Amino acid sequence: MLVLFETAAGYAIFKLLNEKKLKNVENLYLDFESPDSASNVVKLKSFKKFKDTTDALAAATATVEGKMSKSLKSVMKKLVASDAQEELAVADAKLGNIIKETFNISCVANSSVQELMRGIRQQMDSLITLPAKEMSAMALGLAHSLSRYKLKFSPDKVDTMIVQAISLLDDLDKELNNYIMRAREWYGWHFPELGKIVQDNLAYAKVVKHMGFRTNAINLDFSKILPEEIEQEVKDAAEISMGTEISDEDILNVTHLCDQVIEITEYRAQLYDYIKNRMVAIAPNLTVLVGELVGARLISHAGSLLNLAKHPASTVQILGAEKALFRALKTKHDTPKYGLIYHASLVGQANTKIKGKMSRMLAAKTALAIRVDALGEDTNAELGLEHRAKLERRVRELEEGKSRRISGSGKAVSKWEKYENKSQVKMYNDTADSTLPNVPKKRKFDDDDEEVEPKFIKTEVEEPKVNGDSEETETPKKKKKKKKDRESLNTTADTTQEELDTSQNNVTSSEKKKKKKKKNKQGDD
Amino acid sequence: MGRPGFSPRGGGGGFRGGRGGDRGGGGGFRGGRGGSSDRGGRGGFGDRGGRGGRGGFGDRGGRGGFGGRGGGRGRGGDRGGRGGRGGRGGRGGGRGGFRGGKQVVVEPHRHNGVFVARGKEDALVTLNMVPGDAVYGEKRISVEEGEKKIEYRAWNPFRSKLAAAILGGVDKIHMGPGKKVLYLGAASGTTVSHVSDIVGPDGLVYAVEFSHRSGRDLINVAKKRTNIIPIIEDARHPHKYRMLVGMVDVIFADVAQPDQARIVAINAHHFLKNGGHVVISVKANCVDSTAAPEAVFAGEVNKLKAEKIKPQEQLTLEPYERDHAVVVGQYRPPGKN
Repeated sequence: MLVLFETAAGYAIFKLLNEKKLKNVENLYLDFESPDSASNVVKLKSFKKFKDTTDALAAATATVEGKMSKSLKSVMKKLVASDAQEELAVADAKLGNIIKETFNISCVANSSVQELMRGIRQQMDSLITLPAKEMSAMALGLAHSLSRYKLKFSPDKVDTMIVQAISLLDDLDKELNNYIMRAREWYGWHFPELGKIVQDNLAYAKVVKHMGFRTNAINLDFSKILPEEIEQEVKDAAEISMGTEISDEDILNVTHLCDQVIEITEYRAQLYDYIKNRMVAIAPNLTVLVGELVGARLISHAGSLLNLAKHPASTVQILGAEKALFRALKTKHDTPKYGLIYHASLVGQANTKIKGKMSRMLAAKTALAIRVDALGEDTNAELGLEHRAKLERRVRELEEGKSRRISGSGKAVSKWEKYENKSQVKMYNDTADSTLPNVPKKRKFDDDDEEVEPKFIKTEVEEPKVNGDSEETETPKKKKKKKKDRESLNTTADTTQEELDTSQNNVTSSEKKKKKKKKNKQGDD
Repeated sequence: MGRPGFSPRGGGGGFRGGRGGDRGGGGGFRGGRGGSSDRGGRGGFGDRGGRGGRGGFGDRGGRGGFGGRGGGRGRGGDRGGRGGRGGRGGRGGGRGGFRGGKQVVVEPHRHNGVFVARGKEDALVTLNMVPGDAVYGEKRISVEEGEKKIEYRAWNPFRSKLAAAILGGVDKIHMGPGKKVLYLGAASGTTVSHVSDIVGPDGLVYAVEFSHRSGRDLINVAKKRTNIIPIIEDARHPHKYRMLVGMVDVIFADVAQPDQARIVAINAHHFLKNGGHVVISVKANCVDSTAAPEAVFAGEVNKLKAEKIKPQEQLTLEPYERDHAVVVGQYRPPGKN
C-alpha cells in the first residue's frame, strides 16, 4: 500500500512495508517512536517538492477545497505509470474519490489511515530527508501566503459592504439625533417657541439656518421650508418670544451645527439609497419580504448572507432578541416572539393579537427567501413576491377571524387564541390529600370505575409536592395500597362475592390506616 | 489599590505571596474590571469584540448560532475601546508603570518561559521576542543585563485566559521554550503573541483562527514573529490545514463553541502527539446557557474522557472571567499497560 502525505514543502509518497500494521492501529504509535523503527514501517518512495511558493499555494488551496492540484496530478501520473495496482492511502476522503475517478486507483481514507498519518507526521523530519529548517520555512511561507490569499478572496465581501453600511446608517441616526437635540436645546435659549412649532428636525435646522436671529423672521420667506400656516405661526411667535438675546458669534456657531445636521441628513439619504440598491442586488427576495433595512440588519447580525442562510426560521424570527431569549430560557419563561423582524412592515401592520403569529410565518418565508438569495442561481424576486402575497392574504384572513374555506368550514370553528404552553406546571390539589372522608364506605364498582382510575393516577404523579408533615408523607403509601385494591377489583369485578369481600377489605384497610396514623402521631409526640 | 477583581486568588500556587495584582493604575489596561462586563459590551470603534458580545465597528460577528450567547463578554475587545493609548507619554504620569526600571525586578515564574515583574505591583510578563514592539498596546519593561538589553511585555489576565489560568495557579501549562503549540481560536493574536514569547525562537505556535476580520490582525502579529504560523481556517476541519501543521506538544483551545470538546478532539487526533497535553478554556455559557456552569464543565470533561483525553486539572478563572474554567488534560497518556 502507498501513502500520500502532503507537507508544506511538497508531496511525499510512502510505501507501507508491512500491510498488517494497519490491522492493529492501537499500537502503531510504538513503531513511530524513533526514526529507526519508523523507517521499518514506511519507506519514502518519492518526494515531489514544490517549485516555488505559488506552486505551494496552489497545492494548499486545492487541499483545502479537497481538489487535486496540478502538481499532485503529475505526481499521481508518475505513480500510475510505475505501480498502478497498489491502493493508495489518503488523508481526505474527498480527495481520495477524485483520485479514484481520474486515475482509477483505489483509495482508502479511514481511521487507521489517520493513525498512520499521525505516525508519519511524528517522524516527518527523519522520514523525508529534507532539512528541518527548510521544512519549517516552507510551512511559514505557505501559511502566510495562504492566509493572505484567503483574506484577499473572501467570499462574503459583498455582504461586508452592506454590514458596514447598515452599521453606519445606525450610527448616523444616533448622531443625527444627538446633534438635533443639541441644536434645539441651544437655539431654544434664543427662541424657545420654535421647537414646539417646527417638529420636523430637518425643517428646524433649515429654519434656524435661514433665520439666524428671531428678529429676522418677520422679513423672511420660509415658503421653501415650511408650509404656509406654520410659517405664519413662526413669525407670530418670533415677535412675542420669551427667549434671551444672544450674540452674533453664538448664532454663527448654532448655524454651523445646523449646517452639519442638514449635511448629515443628506448623506444619510444617500447612504440609504446605496443600501437599497445593494440589497436589491444581492438579496432581492429577502428585500421584498422584510424590506431593505430589516434585511440588511439581519445580514449584519448573522455576519454574512451565507451565515444567515444557515440559520433556521426559528432563529431568524428572534434574531436580535438574544438577550431576551436567553433570559427566558434561563428563567423558563416564554421565549420572545420577534427580534429584528418586528420592524418588517408585514409584522408592523398586523394587529397586536396576531403579531407573534405573523412574525413566525414571515420568518419561515424569510428563511426560504434568504436561502434562495444566498444559494440560488437566478436573481429575481419571484419567490419573495409570491410569498409576500400569501402572507398578506393570510393577515387579512386572520384579522377577519374566520377561515375562507368553502367546504368543511362547519367543522373548523376557527378561534385564534393566544398560544399557551401546555406543559405548564400544575398546582397540587390539596383536597386530594385527605382521602379518608371522601372515600365512601360502600363503593359500587361498576363501569365508571375505569374512569376514576386515571384521576387517581394523576394525583399520584403530582404527589411530590407534599409538605414535611409526617401525616402527609404517609398518604402516598396509603394510596398505592388503595390503588392496588382497586386494580384487583377491576379484574374480578364480575363476581359479586368478591366485590363484597374487597369492599370490606377496603374498609378494613382504611381502618388500619387510621390506626397507623394514630400510632404515628404518638410516635411523633 | 482597591480595584475589584484584582484581589489575590488564593495565595496558593500561582503567584507566590499571593499578591496577584496586575499593575493596574491609572492608565494601564482598560481600567480593570469594573462592572465585570467591561469588555463584553460594545467596545468603541475598531472593537475586535467578536465571539461574544457585539462589537461596534468591525464587528467580527459570532461564528455560528447566536453570537451573543447570553451576552457574555466578547473576546479580546481592544484597540480603540481602550481609549487614549495614543502617545506613550500621555499615560506615564507619576505612577504607571515600570519605566525607570530601578524598582522593578523580573524573576522567573514557576512556569518556564513566564516571568513575574515585581515593582510597585506585581505583573505577569513574558520575554519580548521582538524588543521595542508592543503587539496590542501592552506595557513593556526594559531590563539591562550587562551589555544586553532585554525587554518584557506585561500580560493582562483580564484579556488572556491563559494568563488568568496562570495567575489562578494552574499546575502546569505544558508550554515552555522549544515547545510546539497548536492554538485554536487565536483571535487577534494577543495571547498568541505571549505564547510565542514563551516558546521562544525554537518553538512554534500554529495559530488557527476562522474569522477573517481578526485573522487580519493575527497575520500582522505573525509577520513580526516568525515562530507563529497563522492559519485562517475553521478549526472544525483540521484536515484542511494538515499540510501546514506538524506534530505538536500541546493544544490550547479557546474557541468558545458548543462543540468545542469535539473540535479539540479531532485536532488532537490529527496533530497531538501521544502523551501530549490539551489546555482548554471552557465558557459555560457557550456550551449551554441554561445549565449550571459546574454541570457544563463536568459534561465537557466527560466528553474529553470519551476522546482519550485524560483530564488532569480543572480550575475556574473566577476573578477574571465569569463562568469560565480551564481544563488541562493529557492525550493518550502513556504507561497504562
